[in-house]
Amino acid sequence: MNLYVCIKQVPDTETKIKLNGDSSGIDAAGIKWIMSPYDEFAVEEALRVKEKNAGSTVTVVTAGPDRVVDTLRTALAMGADNAIHIELPESADSTMAAKAIAATLKKEAQIDLIYFGKEAIDDGASQVPQRVAAHLGLPSVTVVVGIEYSGTTLKCKREIEGGSYEMVEVTAPAVIATSKGLNEPRYATLPNIMKAKKKEVKAVKLADIGVSAADQKIKTKNLQLPPPKQAGKKIEGDAAAQAKALVAALHNDAKVV
Amino acid sequence: MTWQTFAFLIVGGFAALISGKRFHTLYLLMKAKKGTAPKFGEVARRIQTTLVNVLGQKAVLESPVIGVAHTAIFWGFLIISLGTVEQFCMTLWDTASFEFIGHPLYSLFIQSQDLFTALVLIGVIVAAVRRLIFRPKHLGQSMDANIVLLFTGGLMISIFMMNAFHSLTHPWFADDYFISKHIADGIGHFGFDEGESHGLFTLFKWIHMCLVLGFGMYIPGSKHLHLVAAGPNTYLRHLDREKGMKMINFEDETLTQYGVGKINDMSWKDALDLYSCTECGRCQSLCPAWNTDKPLSPKNLIIDLKKNLHANKEAMLAKKEEEITPVIDTHVTEDVIWACTSCRACEIACPVFIEHTDKIYDIRRNLVMMESKFPTEVQAVFKNMETNGTPWAFSPGERANWAQGLDVKTVAEAGSAQDLDVLLWVGCAGAYDERNKSVVKSFVSILNKAGVKFAILGTEETCTGDAARRIGNEYLYQTLAKANIETLNRYNVKRIVTACPHCFNTIKNEYKDMGGEYEVFHHSQYVGKLISEGKIKPTKSIDETVTFHDSCYLGRWNNVYAQPRAVLQSIPKVNLVEMKQHHDQGLCCGAGGGRMWMEEHIGKRINVTRSEQAIETKATTVATACPFCITMISDGMKTKDMADKIKVRDIVEIIDEAT
Ligand code: SF4
Ligand code: SF4
Repeated sequence: MNLYVCIKQVPDTETKIKLNGDSSGIDAAGIKWIMSPYDEFAVEEALRVKEKNAGSTVTVVTAGPDRVVDTLRTALAMGADNAIHIELPESADSTMAAKAIAATLKKEAQIDLIYFGKEAIDDGASQVPQRVAAHLGLPSVTVVVGIEYSGTTLKCKREIEGGSYEMVEVTAPAVIATSKGLNEPRYATLPNIMKAKKKEVKAVKLADIGVSAADQKIKTKNLQLPPPKQAGKKIEGDAAAQAKALVAALHNDAKVV
Repeated sequence: MTWQTFAFLIVGGFAALISGKRFHTLYLLMKAKKGTAPKFGEVARRIQTTLVNVLGQKAVLESPVIGVAHTAIFWGFLIISLGTVEQFCMTLWDTASFEFIGHPLYSLFIQSQDLFTALVLIGVIVAAVRRLIFRPKHLGQSMDANIVLLFTGGLMISIFMMNAFHSLTHPWFADDYFISKHIADGIGHFGFDEGESHGLFTLFKWIHMCLVLGFGMYIPGSKHLHLVAAGPNTYLRHLDREKGMKMINFEDETLTQYGVGKINDMSWKDALDLYSCTECGRCQSLCPAWNTDKPLSPKNLIIDLKKNLHANKEAMLAKKEEEITPVIDTHVTEDVIWACTSCRACEIACPVFIEHTDKIYDIRRNLVMMESKFPTEVQAVFKNMETNGTPWAFSPGERANWAQGLDVKTVAEAGSAQDLDVLLWVGCAGAYDERNKSVVKSFVSILNKAGVKFAILGTEETCTGDAARRIGNEYLYQTLAKANIETLNRYNVKRIVTACPHCFNTIKNEYKDMGGEYEVFHHSQYVGKLISEGKIKPTKSIDETVTFHDSCYLGRWNNVYAQPRAVLQSIPKVNLVEMKQHHDQGLCCGAGGGRMWMEEHIGKRINVTRSEQAIETKATTVATACPFCITMISDGMKTKDMADKIKVRDIVEIIDEAT
């Protein structure tokens, strides 16, 4: 099977985000970059499918500035066979990223399954998997926490609102967006880390796939950090007095009632 | 030449062939090992330790009763072997006796044979009574041991019988056989004539010789191989108390396999370790894992690895790599390997200097780096260390936040380490863990009171890598260590003090293998120095009964026992008491060897067991000197509902209060 996994490099969850000079984005200095955790489930899933189906290959794809190649290497170390780096500017939005990824995938000879993480933990937009599916004319199943494979049919368990699940059946080729619970991503073995350092990463330029700056529909002008957390207030008194004070605070200070 | 010459040539030759072949196989198995053994320099110290511990039986005598019995048996064997050599010579050539050494000496020789035969027999009886009647738990039941006791007892009895009959036929020796002559007196009542006595002498001589030869054939497959292996193993022992883990050269592209996956991945020295084990169980009786019902016993580990070696003998000697079975099997399970806290109680207790932790680390390295197999909770720890340089999920940018509002400079602010007295290595616990932040703050307060010029690396510090290394992720360790050494050397740091024994041990004993040479102090040593120099004076009394919990990486790994105790005793009114296990026999808190980062699913909790020992002392304060210990013992006290009755404090917190 020809398995593709689209991944994104994001700041580590512990990063204290700072804004850049003109507030158009975040300050990249000092950030530790990681693979978006939901994408790890996607890579792991593709690797497991590959291990069960002899002769399969796993190709990882990412889009972004040069530093994202490190994340491709992380996926290669986990066991992916090939890697494609689409050179996308830092400021690109979901529309542009999806178009670039779809255009790149279209050039691949054969695709059986495309895995994504259900969202990237940086902007949390949850846009790209479905958009890519639309560009490629493929069905997509999102927030997948369980898959049963039989031939080209996939029975997917999706997590939906309220802690419930729904079962969706889909036929490959398809786009699958994975979520936590699907599997436990592996820790790369050292021989694989060593091999990954030497593997070739195929570079794709935007011009090669017909994507340009015009494809970016959203431009960030003024990013703001959330206001620092205020210390909590303790309301004293008996129940009636507390209720009164609470309503007053919600009405006058927070202006929500 | 008599019929005996020919008989002995046949019997002796056969026995020599069999035992020779068995020993040769053991040698070939050592040679078939692929791992690299350490270097063995310092001949003078090695000879000294061999004399002291083999001839002097020092390590064996650490257990008094059985130690004395063993010493008697050991020396008996040496002395009696001389008699056996004479016996063999005389059997081959009946005039080849040692009488040529002259009368007084030969007399002495015979007397010594009689004396030591008696001593060995007493030793064997003591050992048998202990093994079969008192049955100490750590000894277990061993057929092998019983057979060997029978062998040894049989040997001694045959010697006495032989000597008794000899003294009957050679009455001029009777006075020299000062013990067996009493047996001869008893035999006298049977009224054997000279011919019969001589015949019986020959019979017992042959029983003795056959037992000796049989023993020679038996020991290569027995725990009594230690007779042959323990001497060399003592000579080749790790000489110093301090010990760093061995390096792996990741630059070496010919290396395709890391750690020990199969028994032949170990080194020949590891095989010698396995051959040396006496199954005495001293290691097991002190092992925190074993004593809290985990599947790990360091003794069984060694026995099982030896079994694995023998089971793979054919495949190893035929170089059929693919037929060699993994070291992880139904005996040495993954749970066994992960249960170790690397407390090193086993190694320090072992009378023949077997190094258990090396083997456990090697197997872990293989599991982690080759197989990616480890307790699931560790993955997040590795990832945190990789991205954030700390096992906790915190940002590296917040590493120095604990120092906000304090008068603490970074080396970058101070310009260079040149003008500093010492660099304060904070460590991840001190930087991120709430409880341990206050320990570091107390230490800073002491340093300021003493007017010490110090600085921290601030956000340039990163995890030393200790936990990664001990869990088996050598690659991650080296990445972290390299970054730290680069930073320390860039600032030209010479002296380091740290409040964490794990950081202390790693920077002091392990960074030097990667080009980081520093003078490193643990805070207990540094505070001790400040007190003895009069820079701080603990004048305020603290009226408490205090018990000090030894951190493994301070005590057993670095022999720092006296200073933390001296520091506590310098405080007026402190009443220092010991727990039932302390110093080299101390019980680990349960967090070493990366166990801090793993769940404890099996058996009783080690920290609770240790806390119970502290509670038994009726102390009002448990003093610690390690961030992991303080966490573990505090948790243990909470479990025992004693958290509000017994304080768990680092020694610097106590000293800070007293100064
Ligand atoms: S190091 Fe400690 S825990 Fe590990 S085997 Fe030895 S005694 Fe047991
Ligand atoms: S390893 Fe050492 S301490 Fe443990 S049983 Fe063997 S000889 Fe005794």
